[in-house]
Amino acid sequence: MATDRSTADRSTAELERFLAERADHLLHTAALLTGSRETGEDLLQTAVERLLRRWRRFDGDPEGYLRRTLCNLAIDGSRRAGRWRLKEGLLRTGLRQVPDAASEVDLRDALVRLLWKLPARQRAVLVLRYWEQLTDAEAAEVLGCPEGTVKSAGSRGLARMRELADDWNDAAAAAGGWGKQS
Amino acid sequence: MNIDVEDLLRQGMLRYTADVRAPAGMARMAQRRRRRRLAQRSVTAGAALAACTAAVVVAVALPGAHHNAPGPTPTIDTAYVTKRVASALSTAAPAEIAHLMVTSSGPGGTSTAKEWSYGDQWRSVVYSSAGQPVYDEGGTSSTYTLVNYSARTWARQRGVAGQTGPASQQTGCVQAAAALSLLFRPRLSAGSPSASVVKLLRTAISCGTLTEAGQQRVDGIEATKLTSSSGSLISETIWVSPTTYLPVRVVIRSAPGSPVSQQTADITWLKPIAQNRAGLTVPIPAGFRQVPFGPTVRPISP
Repeated sequence: MATDRSTADRSTAELERFLAERADHLLHTAALLTGSRETGEDLLQTAVERLLRRWRRFDGDPEGYLRRTLCNLAIDGSRRAGRWRLKEGLLRTGLRQVPDAASEVDLRDALVRLLWKLPARQRAVLVLRYWEQLTDAEAAEVLGCPEGTVKSAGSRGLARMRELADDWNDAAAAAGGWGKQS
Repeated sequence: MNIDVEDLLRQGMLRYTADVRAPAGMARMAQRRRRRRLAQRSVTAGAALAACTAAVVVAVALPGAHHNAPGPTPTIDTAYVTKRVASALSTAAPAEIAHLMVTSSGPGGTSTAKEWSYGDQWRSVVYSSAGQPVYDEGGTSSTYTLVNYSARTWARQRGVAGQTGPASQQTGCVQAAAALSLLFRPRLSAGSPSASVVKLLRTAISCGTLTEAGQQRVDGIEATKLTSSSGSLISETIWVSPTTYLPVRVVIRSAPGSPVSQQTADITWLKPIAQNRAGLTVPIPAGFRQVPFGPTVRPISP
C-alpha cells in the first residue's frame, strides 16, 4: 500500500483495494480481540470508519493505524463494560474444569477460549505477540504503553494459559492420553 | 510436562479464524455508517432536518444501493452467511417492509408484478406486457381487497384469516423450494398469517439446502450467492447483501426436462415510514364499481 502523498487526496476506492487485501487478516485480529466474529466485524467497521474520516489526508501505514485502533477499541470497550472483572470471576470458577477426554485439539480451543477471559490488555498483548507476531517493543508502540507493561501483561496471560495446560496435561496423563508422552 | 503453550495458542487462533472472512466493500459500508451517524446527529440538531435524515437512513438501509467493491472477493462459508441472513431476517421481520419486483417468464410469456409485505399486510400489483396494471390485490389476515382494472371493478372480503395457502401446509425443510416459490404467489403466502415474505425467506434459508457459491454483482452490489444443489427439483438461488445480509434477489427455475420457466424477485427493504406504508394499501381508482366478492372477481394468484 503506497503511503506517500504524491496525490493530494486518496480515494475511497484505494482504501477499498487495501481492505480487499488486508481486511480478512484484520478481521481475524478483531475477532480474537473480542472473542466474537460479529463483534469483531463491528469493531473493524468502527476502525475503518475512523480511518475513513482522515483517509484523504492520511499519511501513514493504514494497517498499523487499524491494528492500533482495534486494540484501543477492544481495551476501551472491555474497560467500559467492566467485562473483564466478570470474566475473571468466570475464570476462577468455570475455566479450570478439565474435560474428561483431553486432546491436543481441545486444548488449542480451550486456550483460545481462555484468551477471551483474560483482562483486555493481556489479551491484546497475546494477540499482538502470537497472532500479529509483533515484538514486545512493537506491541508497546501499538498499545501506547511502556515495553515493560507489555512484557508483564504477556507473561501474566501466558501464566494463566500454562495453568490451564498443566491441568489439561495432568488429566490427560491420568487418562493415559497424549500428555503422558510429552 | 512439556507443552508448548505458545505454539498451541497460535494453532488455536488459526483454527478459530480459519473460516472468518471480511465482507466485501467495507470502506463503502463505513462511509454509509458515517453518513447515517451524521444524519442521526442532524436529527437531534433540529426538527427541520428530520425529513432529510429519514431519507438518508432509508437510502442507507436499502440493499439495492450502489457501491463498488474492487479487488478480490472473498468466499464466505455457508454456515456463517446463513446465520447472518437468518439473524438479519429476524430483525427485518418487525422493522422493514419487503418490496419485491417480480418477473415471471415461461411458455406463456413474461409478466411483471410489484409486491409489498409487512407483517400480515401485503399487496400485489400485476402488470400487463404494456406496463398497465391488470389486477391490484392486498390486505391483511382479516381483509382482502381486489381491484380488477380490466373490468373496472373492485371487491372486498372480510374474515379471510382462515384462508390458508400452501405455506401453512408445508412444514420443516421438506418444501424449502416451495417456500421460495410462494414468494411469487402473494395471496397464498401472505394471506396466511404464518407466511410473510420474511418468514418464507427464513424458512428457505434455515433449511440448510442452500450453499454459499461465491459473490456476484447484483444491482451494483457485490452480493453473496446462495444456491441449491444441482440435483434439486427446482433450482433456487438467493443473493444477499454483504452489508445487511438481507436477500436482495431470489430466482427459482424449473427442473430440467419441464417447460422452462423462471421467476425473479428483486427485493428492497424499506423502513415503515408513512410514505412506504402507503404502498401496502390497495387504492380504489375513481369511477370503479364495487361488486360482490365471488367467482366473477377472480383473484390473480395462481
